[in-house]
Amino acid sequence: MLLEINNHSGVPIYRQVIEQIKHQIMAGQLLEAQQLTSVRDLAAQLRVNPMTISKAYAMLEADGLLERRRGIGLFVARVQNTHKMQTQTRILEGILNQAAITAAQFGFTEKQAMEMFEGLYKKYNSKTRDRSNE
Amino acid sequence: MNSEEPIIQIRNLCKRFGKTTALDHVDLQIFAGSIIGLLGANGAGKSTLLRHIIGLYLPDEGHVVTFGREAAKLGPRELARIGYVHQEGELLDWMKVGQILCYVAAYYPNWNSDLESRYIAEFEISTEARVGSLSPGERQKLAILLAIGFEPELLILDEPASALDPIARANFLDLLLELIQGERRTIIISSHILSDVEKVMDRTVIMKKGRILCDSGFDDLLEKYCRVHINAVSGKLPAQLPFDNIIKSQRNDGQAILTIHDTPREVLERQGESLKCKIEVQPLSLEEIYRIVAG
Repeated sequence: MLLEINNHSGVPIYRQVIEQIKHQIMAGQLLEAQQLTSVRDLAAQLRVNPMTISKAYAMLEADGLLERRRGIGLFVARVQNTHKMQTQTRILEGILNQAAITAAQFGFTEKQAMEMFEGLYKKYNSKTRDRSNE
Repeated sequence: MNSEEPIIQIRNLCKRFGKTTALDHVDLQIFAGSIIGLLGANGAGKSTLLRHIIGLYLPDEGHVVTFGREAAKLGPRELARIGYVHQEGELLDWMKVGQILCYVAAYYPNWNSDLESRYIAEFEISTEARVGSLSPGERQKLAILLAIGFEPELLILDEPASALDPIARANFLDLLLELIQGERRTIIISSHILSDVEKVMDRTVIMKKGRILCDSGFDDLLEKYCRVHINAVSGKLPAQLPFDNIIKSQRNDGQAILTIHDTPREVLERQGESLKCKIEVQPLSLEEIYRIVAG
């Protein structure tokens, strides 16, 4: 599990951990039933206070994204498709919202903005497809 | 979460030195298993407070109870559970580094020699050097080693990293994190260098002029404040912006930057929706928060 922490951004570290793990689960980089690095090991790897990691894991567990198997550890939970869609939609909307506002502020027309988005989307989507064909 | 007894209990503590009030009705409870960052300018009362915890100063008023005993009456049994690194770093100058390590280690049956050897290698301290000839940074490293070698339950660090260079400082912070991994160990670290404690603390206590201004979980403190950038998409912003709890506000016709406290992001976004503006919510750095609280 690869995470990156910024100690001075003002964003609490547990939030950074939650956001990154959530993103990885949504993007399929962390797979269902995959075991998470233990609190101790992740704290050592990121050089942060272990309480921070416990807190992040507990919140992801409460959110239903992780599940605890007694005596073994934490695993990526089976996430209902509707829940997954909701989470993905929320994340994407947040990002697109910023893009839409900037486009409007800069005076791009809807058509120009959509074309730009389509172009970018095709570029990445074809890459994703290439990868799944390998 | 804190159903257990605190390991340190400070009630209504006052301390005066002549006409100076060093501590002014301080209340503080510390529970096992956390790293407390004690922040404040020079002269805020940090060192005085820490000294009371181990009975080096006696209260003029109030009580300090450490490990269940009045701090003034701590005996060898309690003191053997406490490590203390202070700014002055008084050490036996005539000894060699190796000798002082043996000397101190002899007092503690649980001295961790592995930790000692590893730390000596990591910090490049020569065991043959005379203590009196060490540089301030080396002295501080040695003082830290002497305080952690017996793996104390409670480690009190008074400006421990002030003389260390950036790399030694980073190593030292890593060492602290390693010390509390898995164990119910408690570390109190005082500093006026915010970036040092920011990395390790989970609780933040801010002092000014002998008083505690803020005592909060570090994450909660970071989330208590935020900055909202508002940018009109076209035209002007309304004269009245729909936000509460504003600490500071800068604005012109098309833009506003607000510093806001105690308002969750969702509430801000809701409040801002009616504006049809570009709204960005950003965290404040610890330094900015510190200025708001103690400035």
